[in-house]
Amino acid sequence: MNTHSSAPLSYHGEKGPLFSLAFKTALLTLITLGIYRFWQKTRIRKYIWSSIDMGGDRLEYTGTGLEKLLGFFIAVLFLAVYLGAIQMGLFYFGFSMMVDPQTASYEEMIGYLIAIYASFFAVLPFLLFAVYRARRYKMARTRFRGIRFGMDNGAWGYVGRALLYWLLSILTLFILSPLAMFKLEKYMADRSYYGSGRIEQGGKWTALYKYALHMFIGIVLLAGGAGAGAALQNEALMIIGMVVGYIWFFVGITYFQIRSFAYLMENKTLNGEIGFTCEPKTGTVIKHYIVGGLIVGLIIGVIAAILGAGVSIIAGAMLSGGNVDPMMFTILPIIIGVVIYLPLLVLAQALALVFITQPIIAHIVETTAVTNADALNRITQRETERGVDADGFADALDVGGAI
Amino acid sequence: MLPFQAHFYDGLTAGRHDVHVALNSDRVHLDISGDTLSPALHWPLQDLRALKGSADRDGLTLTRVAETDDEAPRDPARLVITDPAAIDWFHKTRPSLFKTDLRSGTFRKIATYAGAAVVAVLMMLFVILPALANSLAKILPIEREIAFGRHVTAQMERFMGASELGGLRCSSPEGDAAIAKMLTRLTENHDMHYDVEIHVFDHPMLNAFAAPGGQVVMMRGLIEEAERAEEVAGVLAHEIAHVENRDATRHALRATGSAGLLTMLIGDFTGAAAIALIGEHMLSASYTREAEGIADEFALEMLANADVDSNGFARFFDELGEHTHGVEIPSYLSTHPATGDRADKARAFAAQQSDTRPILNETEWQAMRSICDKSD
Repeated sequence: MNTHSSAPLSYHGEKGPLFSLAFKTALLTLITLGIYRFWQKTRIRKYIWSSIDMGGDRLEYTGTGLEKLLGFFIAVLFLAVYLGAIQMGLFYFGFSMMVDPQTASYEEMIGYLIAIYASFFAVLPFLLFAVYRARRYKMARTRFRGIRFGMDNGAWGYVGRALLYWLLSILTLFILSPLAMFKLEKYMADRSYYGSGRIEQGGKWTALYKYALHMFIGIVLLAGGAGAGAALQNEALMIIGMVVGYIWFFVGITYFQIRSFAYLMENKTLNGEIGFTCEPKTGTVIKHYIVGGLIVGLIIGVIAAILGAGVSIIAGAMLSGGNVDPMMFTILPIIIGVVIYLPLLVLAQALALVFITQPIIAHIVETTAVTNADALNRITQRETERGVDADGFADALDVGGAI
Repeated sequence: MLPFQAHFYDGLTAGRHDVHVALNSDRVHLDISGDTLSPALHWPLQDLRALKGSADRDGLTLTRVAETDDEAPRDPARLVITDPAAIDWFHKTRPSLFKTDLRSGTFRKIATYAGAAVVAVLMMLFVILPALANSLAKILPIEREIAFGRHVTAQMERFMGASELGGLRCSSPEGDAAIAKMLTRLTENHDMHYDVEIHVFDHPMLNAFAAPGGQVVMMRGLIEEAERAEEVAGVLAHEIAHVENRDATRHALRATGSAGLLTMLIGDFTGAAAIALIGEHMLSASYTREAEGIADEFALEMLANADVDSNGFARFFDELGEHTHGVEIPSYLSTHPATGDRADKARAFAAQQSDTRPILNETEWQAMRSICDKSD
């Protein structure tokens, strides 16, 4: 029907510029004790967004570092009181539940464990809240052809549904996790807009099962291999079962993530008339994970070996000087940490962004196309989204992905 | 150079306008005109701004300064230029092309929120959390505190290299008796809330610590370096003071709250954990310094009540000072007050003491010193 004008997306980000951007901004973040991270995130997003092209037009990220700083202050105002008090209250609860591990009864140990996990559940609603708000902020600060994307406010509705669906999937040993995934994506997608055009998530949650098959086989192999090996007292069987199961599971879960993303994408419509095709290859994504991982590991390994040798020579020279100052044992690890470990970690992150994350984004973008793209011309502008917290909660609660 | 062809998005619809761009005859406006764009636009050159940080090397996207409700004061319209000569011209002639424009009052707003956030955090760290920790420590049942203390002591032992629980603990009948005698002498004139339980760990470190609930641990190094039993007694009195003041318990409660808060503030960037750790250490240092001062005074009082010469306590600090080679850790980093000051205080106190008697006789003292010697 309306497939007469299909417009493919393309990705134009390069390794060199992204690496120098990521490394430079990460060092600035380190030097400023974390304050620059709001601008770091902004600049990396601007780069990646503007690398995505459709018909000569680039996506645009309009978020600013300053508004993220402000959003962070607001989140801190809320969370400082809540988290500080809750955490200590729960710790007290755990403390008073604290039992002597040598003499504790089974019930006492269970109570102790519950007390420990309670602190996680006290923060969980806020984590989910932050997940929704972070996506909303990303949408509100993305533009294409001068038109804003946007998302309705519905964070607490999301929190309730997410708690419910994930509880359901845990109770069914994750067999219902495709249901949770589909419903939550639909909740968010149905509240999203491009200009005046509303996005709608079609499709059925049961369709995700055919992509989940290999993930479940991997789990069965892992558990079955371990179980059978233990029952038969056969270590070889156990190891083979677990290795095969683990690889099967890793490939299976990647396949599931990629295929279900593609399915959800292909079943989204914009304004009831614009659609998407999305055909990423699982093999290509796994290749990027493995090759990228090897490259990052190799570079970091070589640098760490060189630096490590240097440090041990210096330390050796200092210690052989006789007069060993006990203070050195306190200060030396801190110096090594600051001078070597942290910059190395920063470097590893920048390399991972360049060699793993960006190639995967590029692959997904380049296998995606917009159908009936001519209909985009009928989309009109939408109002500015107000009251977004600019990732403040996500930042304060450490929620968020690679970018 | 001008004029040139470009794409234009008017910020009202997603439709593309193919436009002709030229410099107005007044030389301070850009004329943008096209078949689909009516009326033609005249953008002042001084208001032109380009999108920053784009990955697009061959294109330049222009917008202009405008008062909007958006995150930045920019017109939603976009002029997309791909003509290299034109891009070059804009870069050369428009110095404010990449300028950041802030609304008036932005910094006041940031300062207000920053101030409020800082006040909230400081209130939590220095007023609410310590107060909560104090009252929680008071209502905590003692038997739970003792269980927690055992847990901490066991963890500490493992941390110091014990392969099995109790692997580092020294014990001999005569040594234990000497320690018990020392403890009784120190505490008999005091109304004690806790039953103090003393362990000696086989470790060369010159140190001792008190865990919640009455567990006190002394290292072999401390006893070996001491010249007289009074030195050990001074340290023991100091640790008993920590036990009685519930310092370890309060500290654990407060640290959990503030560590969580600090990690949140610093965020999840690389190295955040290390910085949060240093922050928490500096924070707890200021608390423990205060607690140490109080414990020192308590210890001196305890020594006085037991008629024990506090010169021993002073000598212990001299010893500690020697071991750091005179390199003092800056006081904001150190969890203890400067050792020199502590030694002086103990010596001044000793000068006022009159009827002191030895805390252990020579045989008992030697038994205590050899408590870690293997009997085989």
